[in-house]
Amino acid sequence: MLLLEADGKVLFREAGIATPRGMRFRDAPGGAVLPGVGPWIAKAQVPVGGRGKAGGVRPVATAAELPTILQALLGLRIKGCDTREVLVEEMSGGPEHYLALMVDAAAGGVRLIYSPHGGMDVESQAAHGERGFSEVLPLDAEALEAAAGRMADRVAGTQRAGLLDLCRRLIALFLSRQLMLAEINPLFAQPDGRFVAGDAKVVIDMNTLAAQPVLRGILSDGRALYPDAWRKLSQDFDFVEIDPAGQVGLVTTGAGLSMMLIDELVAQGLTPNNFCDMRTGQMRGSPARLLQIFDWLAAARDVRVVLVNIFAGITDLSEFAQLLVDALRERPGFRLPLVVRLVGNGEAVARDIIVAHPDLGIAFEPDLERAIALTAERLRTVSRKEALDAV
Amino acid sequence: MLFELDGRSPVIVQGITGRMGQKHATLMQRYGTHIVGGTGRVRSGEAHAFPVYADCGEAVRATGAVASIALVPPQNTLEAVREAAAAGLRVVVTVAEGVPVHDALHIRAIARAAGLIWVGASTPGLCIPGEIKLGFLPDVSLAPGAVGVMSKSGTLSYEVGRRLVARGLGQSAWIGVGGDPVKGVRFADLAAGFAAHAATRAVLLIGEIGGDEEEEFADVWGRLGAPKPAYALIAGAQAKEGVTMGHAGALVLGERGSLGSKQKSLRRAGVQVFDTLETLADAIARVPI
Repeated sequence: MLLLEADGKVLFREAGIATPRGMRFRDAPGGAVLPGVGPWIAKAQVPVGGRGKAGGVRPVATAAELPTILQALLGLRIKGCDTREVLVEEMSGGPEHYLALMVDAAAGGVRLIYSPHGGMDVESQAAHGERGFSEVLPLDAEALEAAAGRMADRVAGTQRAGLLDLCRRLIALFLSRQLMLAEINPLFAQPDGRFVAGDAKVVIDMNTLAAQPVLRGILSDGRALYPDAWRKLSQDFDFVEIDPAGQVGLVTTGAGLSMMLIDELVAQGLTPNNFCDMRTGQMRGSPARLLQIFDWLAAARDVRVVLVNIFAGITDLSEFAQLLVDALRERPGFRLPLVVRLVGNGEAVARDIIVAHPDLGIAFEPDLERAIALTAERLRTVSRKEALDAV
Repeated sequence: MLFELDGRSPVIVQGITGRMGQKHATLMQRYGTHIVGGTGRVRSGEAHAFPVYADCGEAVRATGAVASIALVPPQNTLEAVREAAAAGLRVVVTVAEGVPVHDALHIRAIARAAGLIWVGASTPGLCIPGEIKLGFLPDVSLAPGAVGVMSKSGTLSYEVGRRLVARGLGQSAWIGVGGDPVKGVRFADLAAGFAAHAATRAVLLIGEIGGDEEEEFADVWGRLGAPKPAYALIAGAQAKEGVTMGHAGALVLGERGSLGSKQKSLRRAGVQVFDTLETLADAIARVPI
């Protein structure tokens, strides 16, 4: 998962990597005093690339401009992500370099990349010039340190020591926090030979969190900024909001099939609210996960219909159907129309269980295409009823 | 080696005394897999359906096993593969979801150095239908046939497999490469094997957004001259950038890992790319193979 820039920089500073002085804002500045004398730069904190091109980065010439700029940026939707926080930093300058350590999955190692030409278009640059460096190394501190030495030899004498020191710190951070990516772009070269990280792109591995209290702390303190990751960390399954105005709530299992279902719904003009991989195999006879999902869906403004889709390879569907009934009984206030598509292991008994509870208004349908059609039909019925009620 | 596995290949289960291990050892045996024993902790007085050995080395010496399936938790997966490699096994499948990526890098290095084929992690396993199953691919989705299947996702491949079976088709080999970013066998590693595998007459790739495995496969497949009809289904058109979508590997960052890049590369390599389950299954069924 990609950390917000401001949190990536928290990790950088902890590792002794210099960043511009700055402040984080989640609402109007109040009486906050920005560091230094300006000018500053205000950056929307969203976990997506290309925010500059999307209007999410704005210069702040004087402190008086700050409230207006914050107002413009907070709430700005960039590539489907709402800006919930803005980082305002002292404007940095100097030649822009690039430094990154990343897991290279294809090569099966860690790639160290350096270029003296950083900036906006570095990803599209075919080569990093003759002073650039790119090597795949084993995941091993000694090998990485040695590569850092070879890399630093490419740069001018005044910058060599600063770059080597920075790279060593980045290696230590990458290893200790078990990162997948630590990228600095732009990396500002200072006249005295030191470097300042203008941006931070840090991807953490959600599978390491049990052993990473600092990363857990970042997600926990920033739960409002990382709602999807926080849900996964606190509940141990995946529920990602796809469209806050989505009308179809999804209760599904399996990452690939759940993504595919969302794609198929959208292709048919429906608007799924969420991605969900509830991992039915881990429910162990408890309806807790279903109750949690019902609560999230109940809180979603526009969800009108719920579609449940489980392809049971191992999961016993009769057990799941019973848990579904139990969960609905436990939430008498949650009565959205439910289309339930269950297929596979224990399907016949599951159908009997659902049919035995007609008052819950569940439509059982083992065929996925028909279940999607039924979902669309239920949505139309609910919308018509709402329209009539409004008259 | 993967394509040479059959119902005679001796297989051990690492973690055979655990809840998962006991259950799936029996289910795999029922399918036809030649389970010869396993490793795990035996509490005194406990009886087990299969011979239990102290470690892989002992199990291999006693049984001649060539393949192993590790039904152990994610934090024990690195150790399990280390043991499998030291014992001289040829294939190891690790099913656990949640193996840290840095662990996966170590596992990959250990397996490569030992000449051990690692399938996983985060996979329901592999199957040569009618012969051998290492994992828990559901029987309703399996039938002997001519389509070579490789998939990052378990559930999505079950759904596709079931539709193929309903249309009278089956699989020549089915390999779940898993949903993690760093893994053992990748799509591209299977291209030459499927191209040479006589029983495979068409290839089906079930991918998803994130990483660049689909692009890598397209490169290799194109270089092989697109030797067989190939089909692909890629999930995640609506995935949210910067957030992992269930699978640790399903993460889009800018153009990296995006759907468009995958579709373009695959189509250039002569692969027919689909975006719905039914159109894919119908297309495969339309051409006699």
